[in-house]
Amino acid sequence: MTGKIVSIHSFRGGTGKSNAASNLAAQVALTGRRVGVVDTDIQSPGIHVLFGLDEQKMGKTLNDFLHGKAAIREVGYPVGQNTGGGEGRDKLAGKELYLFPSSIKGREISQILKDGVDFNRLNEGLQTAISEFNLDYLFIDTHPGLNEETLLSIATSDILIIILRPDNQDFQGTSVTVDIARSLDVPNLFLAVNKALPKHMNRPEFNKEIERLFNAAVISVMPLSFDMAENASQDLFSLRFPDHEWSKALKDIVPYILNAK
Amino acid sequence: MPGLFDRLDKEIKDKQREGGITPLDLAALPPSLRKIMRLMLRELSMSYPRMCEVMDAMPEADRLPRAELDSVLSELTDQFWLIRIGEKEKAIYKVNLRRKEGSKLAAGIWSALDNKLKGKSPGSL
Repeated sequence: MTGKIVSIHSFRGGTGKSNAASNLAAQVALTGRRVGVVDTDIQSPGIHVLFGLDEQKMGKTLNDFLHGKAAIREVGYPVGQNTGGGEGRDKLAGKELYLFPSSIKGREISQILKDGVDFNRLNEGLQTAISEFNLDYLFIDTHPGLNEETLLSIATSDILIIILRPDNQDFQGTSVTVDIARSLDVPNLFLAVNKALPKHMNRPEFNKEIERLFNAAVISVMPLSFDMAENASQDLFSLRFPDHEWSKALKDIVPYILNAK
Repeated sequence: MPGLFDRLDKEIKDKQREGGITPLDLAALPPSLRKIMRLMLRELSMSYPRMCEVMDAMPEADRLPRAELDSVLSELTDQFWLIRIGEKEKAIYKVNLRRKEGSKLAAGIWSALDNKLKGKSPGSL
């Protein structure tokens, strides 16, 4: 097993976790690596939107795999062959990026809530995705907060990136997540601040204070951006606007992923 | 007529129903047990000789001495957190995660919701 698992997590919703996960996966794919993205937020899936996938285009899903109706190789959607037409996403044409989406059908989401999740099957899916697609990196977009799916993805990760906003509620929750990640022996634990105010940008003392609070490296501070809000998850922002301040800050994270042991 | 693989697969699946570890339990394990469980989460299944090879290839500080490895495997197997098929040198280990339970809401609520959602597209939810 050589491919690395990268979990992107946040304790609270609305931090920009899925935007960060999809853009990071895309940036890593642009370097020529083989990349997968799994949406384990089965209760409230959303990352497929950033890859231009809708219900019509969506074939087999993680839900089908979990219910034994599909093999994981049938679930991987080749984004490089179907970029969905966005100006940013089109840059992924020919790249090896596979999305493993969760179902957006109400009945299938309610079935998971009703029946629960076979974690042996979910873990088998994650590990088999790496081997069958020969992935260098498998990104996991987790459900915000701490539930069992999230803990499983953290436990199996080589790299955990926690996204937080400069907000006291996020700080307290992040502290809990960091403690749990440490107790699960995640080898590489990083923090990335998103939606930072202008007063937080390019301020080493701000980064140091967060690092002191959590005893973990802050590898990026991404600004609060109206341009990102305007993008409204229609496209992969960092590919569409590579010179934007947010995109540059996001790209600061990539070497930490590529160089992690 | 089922082959050897089918029989082993069935044996593992039957044993997996008998318990398993939750992701939260993993965080509470002693370091040596957690080391093996993390390894097994990534490898899914592993033979005993292969596990010894992997252990020998680890940096010295991370390595478990053979007696400790055997003791850890025994404890994890006793708890049904690992499933062992076969014995001693021929043993194959497989991780066993406890299933996440479904909702405890009354069944009628789910069938009512199911009927409501029949044929609805995401945009109409």
